[in-house]
Formats: sequence, structure tokens, C-alpha cells
Amino acid sequence: MTNGITSSQTIGPFPHEGWRWAAELSQQGAVGAGLVTISGVLYDGQGAPVSDGWVEAWTPAAAPVEHERPLPGFRRCATGEQGEFRLELSAAPRPGEPVAWIALFARGLLKHQFCAVFLVDAPGLANSELLAQVPAARRDTLIAQRQADGSYRWDIHLQGERETVFLDFT
Amino acid sequence: MQFDEVAPGVYPSLIHLPYQSTRSRGPTQPPLRVKAPVPASDGVRFSPALVGPKDLDLTSHGRSAPLGEKIIVSGRVVDEDGRPVRRSLLEVWQCNAAGRYWHPKDQHDAPLDPNFHGVGRMFTDDDGRYRFVTIKPGPYPWGNHDKAWRPAHIHFSLFGNVMAQRLVTQMYFANDPLFAFDPIYQSIPDDAARARLAAHLDMAHTDGGNALGYRFDIVLRGRHATPMGL
Repeated sequence: MTNGITSSQTIGPFPHEGWRWAAELSQQGAVGAGLVTISGVLYDGQGAPVSDGWVEAWTPAAAPVEHERPLPGFRRCATGEQGEFRLELSAAPRPGEPVAWIALFARGLLKHQFCAVFLVDAPGLANSELLAQVPAARRDTLIAQRQADGSYRWDIHLQGERETVFLDFT
Repeated sequence: MQFDEVAPGVYPSLIHLPYQSTRSRGPTQPPLRVKAPVPASDGVRFSPALVGPKDLDLTSHGRSAPLGEKIIVSGRVVDEDGRPVRRSLLEVWQCNAAGRYWHPKDQHDAPLDPNFHGVGRMFTDDDGRYRFVTIKPGPYPWGNHDKAWRPAHIHFSLFGNVMAQRLVTQMYFANDPLFAFDPIYQSIPDDAARARLAAHLDMAHTDGGNALGYRFDIVLRGRHATPMGL
């Protein structure tokens, strides 16, 4: 058990001026052939879209490809008026690993939440050491579904029956 | 790195009824503790070119000095072993001296200051230290309940050296009488953990007749970092 750590507080509704620089850099898009686009909506426990949330994605496999960029392997996206977000990632996932590790922030969320997103058709999904630790009934909350246009759809639920599995690391 | 369980009461209660927005936004299930080597061990590294001198001085962004009390905030970022968190990105944002954010949705009837946008970012140094110059933020009303006023605070966002160290928090000013009435501050059950979010007057970093200093040290989760500084 730990004691002396600094606690967490919500980002509140007004981080945009301070956070947009990284969101703008994230719009440089993907590098190379491994483009993966994930879009979705952030929902609260009433099923209402969260329009002042933030999604950060970290893809370690993309960091070498993006080594000349200021934020290699990192993306930040503010959710829009309908709770929507969109991430363009540079690298296909390592086998069994998520395509991105996610950190999630919002007004009313007193501590950011970690999770991870997998691609439904990624090789090694069935043998993922991370997914194996998630109760089978809730694994779907971490899996992005392929769309007709080749992109992926992944919604995040802060609360409720479809509450996303949030993670803490050992 | 190793991430021990956080002691009960150190983190806020995610559903804290007096803070209304938490009722539909706080997750109800405890986070699933998993073994995941990548977020606990792989370094997150950003380009040092991201930060320029103006980013360390929030009072330098306008044509002239912003209104309010100029202050210097500094401190040290360490992990749970007390090791410095080196060359790690830190973002800060805040309202102005009148309690108004530079944000189109902030409708508080207080003046904007064209010389103060309330935004900064910096890297910690090789000893984990950071320092920035700003204006002391004002308290402001936020509509959560009758007479809801936030104690003055500066928002902090830290990336640590690995993803599992990521932290977003708020720095308050010690002995603020609004603490007792603020559901966000009070959402942290543990008295000592709440108290650690307050900065203290720091004469050692006070700059003569220019600006008072405030000290705010930060401890990120994680132990047993490698000697390389990760």
C-alpha cells in the first residue's frame, strides 16, 4: 500500500486553452503504412454524450515511426458536442497488445481512467495476456469494431450496463 | 516500475454526491488491476523543443503585465521512492485574478484580462524540479449548488516517465477558507491526502520585491524505477 502520493482532481470544463496544442499536433495524422483510424463517442451513465471529455492515446509501437515528431506515439483529442472523438494512429499493434493505451479525462471525473483499445481483427487477440485478465463478459468494452470503410468504431461508457473496463497497473 | 495499490481514501470518491456531475460520470466498478508491462515500464518521451521560455512565464503572453498578484510556483516531482521524475512534461492552466478562464464557455461575470490566458508548460529538470511565474488565480462560482465557489487553484497535468504515472490534479493555496465548502476538494476522503494538494508560501523562492513564492511538491505513483531514470 502506498501513502504519500499526490491525489487526483478533475480537469474541469476549461482545459482547452491549455491542452489544445497537443490536440493540434495530434491532427498531423498517421505516418507510414500502418494507419488505423478509431472513432467513437464518450457516454455518461445516462447514455448522454460527454461533450467536454478528453481522450489520450499512446501507441508505443508507433513511437519509432514518429521519432521526428514532437509527441511520438501520442495523441490527444477533445470530445465534440456529440461526445465524438477520433484517433489516427500510425502503427498496427504488436501481437496481443492493444493498438493504444488510453487515458480518459472529463469534468465530473475526479480521477482520470486508464483503459486500452484492441482491434477486433488484430492477430493474437485470442492470446492477449491483457484481455485474459479481463472478465470475459466485459472484454468487448475494450474492442474496436471494424467498419465498412476500413476504420474502427469504439465507444466509451463511463458508467452503466456497458461500463468500459478501466484499468490499474501493477 | 512497480505500482502498488493506492491506500483507501487517497484518491477521490468517483461518485461524490455533493459534486453533482460525478453522479452520472463516475465509474461504479473499481479499476481492474492488471499486469501490463508496457504502460508500467515503457518511457513516454516528448521533444524538448515543445517548451519555449514564454511557456514558463504565464505573465509574459500579452503586450503588458496582467492584473493581479504575481507569484512564482515551484516544486519537485518525485516517485514513491523519492527519485526525481526527470525531463518530464508538466502542463498548467488556470483562471485569471478575477476568477475567469480564457474559454468561450466560461460565462462568469468577471473580466477577461487580454494579457493573461492562464496557460503554461515545462519539463522537470534533472532533479525533478519545475518552476513557473504566474498570477494568483481568483476564486469563482460554478453553479454546482447555492453559493458554490471554488477555492483558488491551478490545474496541473503531469506525464511522469511511464504512462501509468500520468496524473491530473489541482494545486490549492494552504488555509483557503473555501476548502470546507468545496465538494471537489472534499471528494478526497483522506485528510492528509487533501492537505498535500495545497501549496505553501515559500520565502526561499520569493523573488525580492517582485513576486512571492509558493511551493508545491508532487509524488507520482510508482516504485523501483531503473537507475536510468525511467
